[in-house]
Amino acid sequence: MLRIRDVTSSYGDIQILRGVSLDVGDGEIVALLGPNGHGKSTLLKAIAGVHPATGGSIELDGEEIRTEPPHRIVERGVAYIPEERFLFPEMTVFENLRLGAYTRRARERFDENLAFVYEIFPRLRERRDQACQSLSGGESRMVAIARGLMSGARLLLVDEPSIGLAPALKKDVYEAIRSINQQAGISVLLVEQEIEYALRLASRAYLLKKGAILFERPVSELDVAHVKEAYF
Amino acid sequence: MDAFLNSLASGLIVGSLYAIMAMGLTILYGVSHVFNFAHGHVAVVAAYLVWFAAVRLGLALPVGVAAALLVMVVLALATYWGAIRGLLRRSEWGFGTLLFTLGLAILAEYALLELFGPRVKSVPAVLPGSVRLWFGRLALNDLFLITASVVLMVLVGAFLKRTLTGQAMRAVAQSLPGAQVVGIDIDRIYGATFIFAFVMTGLSGVLLGTKTYMTPHIGWEWMIKGFVIVAFGGLGSVPGAIVAAFLLGVVEALVTLYLGAIWIWPAWLVTFIVALWLRPQGILGGRST
Repeated sequence: MLRIRDVTSSYGDIQILRGVSLDVGDGEIVALLGPNGHGKSTLLKAIAGVHPATGGSIELDGEEIRTEPPHRIVERGVAYIPEERFLFPEMTVFENLRLGAYTRRARERFDENLAFVYEIFPRLRERRDQACQSLSGGESRMVAIARGLMSGARLLLVDEPSIGLAPALKKDVYEAIRSINQQAGISVLLVEQEIEYALRLASRAYLLKKGAILFERPVSELDVAHVKEAYF
Repeated sequence: MDAFLNSLASGLIVGSLYAIMAMGLTILYGVSHVFNFAHGHVAVVAAYLVWFAAVRLGLALPVGVAAALLVMVVLALATYWGAIRGLLRRSEWGFGTLLFTLGLAILAEYALLELFGPRVKSVPAVLPGSVRLWFGRLALNDLFLITASVVLMVLVGAFLKRTLTGQAMRAVAQSLPGAQVVGIDIDRIYGATFIFAFVMTGLSGVLLGTKTYMTPHIGWEWMIKGFVIVAFGGLGSVPGAIVAAFLLGVVEALVTLYLGAIWIWPAWLVTFIVALWLRPQGILGGRST
């Protein structure tokens, strides 16, 4: 589904991605691990079109999307769920979800997608009329993921969904991602600091270090200690 | 007492028109962070166009207004695509857009001066005549103006809440990255917002033109009043702009009654300073930008 080859990207003069290659297949959950600041978020942003990739190729179902603007990438079925969430603070949960279904394709399937979202995140149905700026950390994370689902995406790019959450909530978020993948067959490229959770969810993992892929392994061949060693 | 009520009524009516102008300005700023220094002049241009159509060409008022609004749409698109869009891509975009809109204002002022001359004009009243109320006479045109303003405010509210474009505009104003992430075409929304702002402003200009005398230079006055209202109400806040506009309209009217017209500007500016001193983010301002 997603085929990335030799992607480069910089922030000003500093090169962050030095030729990254990875794949995400249909219906897979793939983990992207690695130390902070080495380019994991930048890679997701580059795929989403929110930050420019200066070179290389990003192909979605065989079509090149590297230079497409962010709104076109959403139309193609890729939803980026940023770590910062970027919810619309003065709008309610429902209004945020409704805007998640901004594209025409998403609007056509609005009712089904909303029903699915409420099934995965029942708490959001209760909170539907609450303004997002008054939500707790866990709830706003859920709204961010739900809003991405409302676009009818086939591929979610999820950036550290559990960071800063209490353990019980981390578990909820992970269960949600697992359900999304299993029930709807949606692929996920997951950036995570919590190696343990990432390995429990994903089938394959990449390690990104200093802007390049250090290794790729099926999760069955990895354990937390090994991965942590590779960080340093 | 009658004089007071008369003044109050007048202040509310003018305030409602300032509100329409301020809404356009504050929404434009909220969405695109461009402060349009040509805002007052855009209003004057629309008013002059209607004057020209009605008084010089003898066309019916609605026709003139429709034509003026069409010109507003074209002007908005030309301003955004021709200049603002390019300016926004640079690192000094704040300064660039500021200078450009200032230049646009000067251009508009002198174009009007060339085309129409310096003598005062006003747009013909929509409804002639007046009606007697217990405290004095109320011009029917005034009644029309406040009704039109309130209707416009309701329509704008509905547009922002219920239409996809309106919601997208609010989304861009509240979180630009969030808007990108849900697939909103930011460029198109900026364009739509410019059109919306220019049309609103144009309308306010036409309506104001039926009530006050205009010269090509009155754009500066309207722009400054618009700026004070928007800052007073909170940059980007539509309810804030409306409340501030009515308040300042009434202040202006009462100051004129009790102190004299010469105190209008000091009153505006003092109110502005005091309000920002007490509440820097404006009455209903909350977010930092």
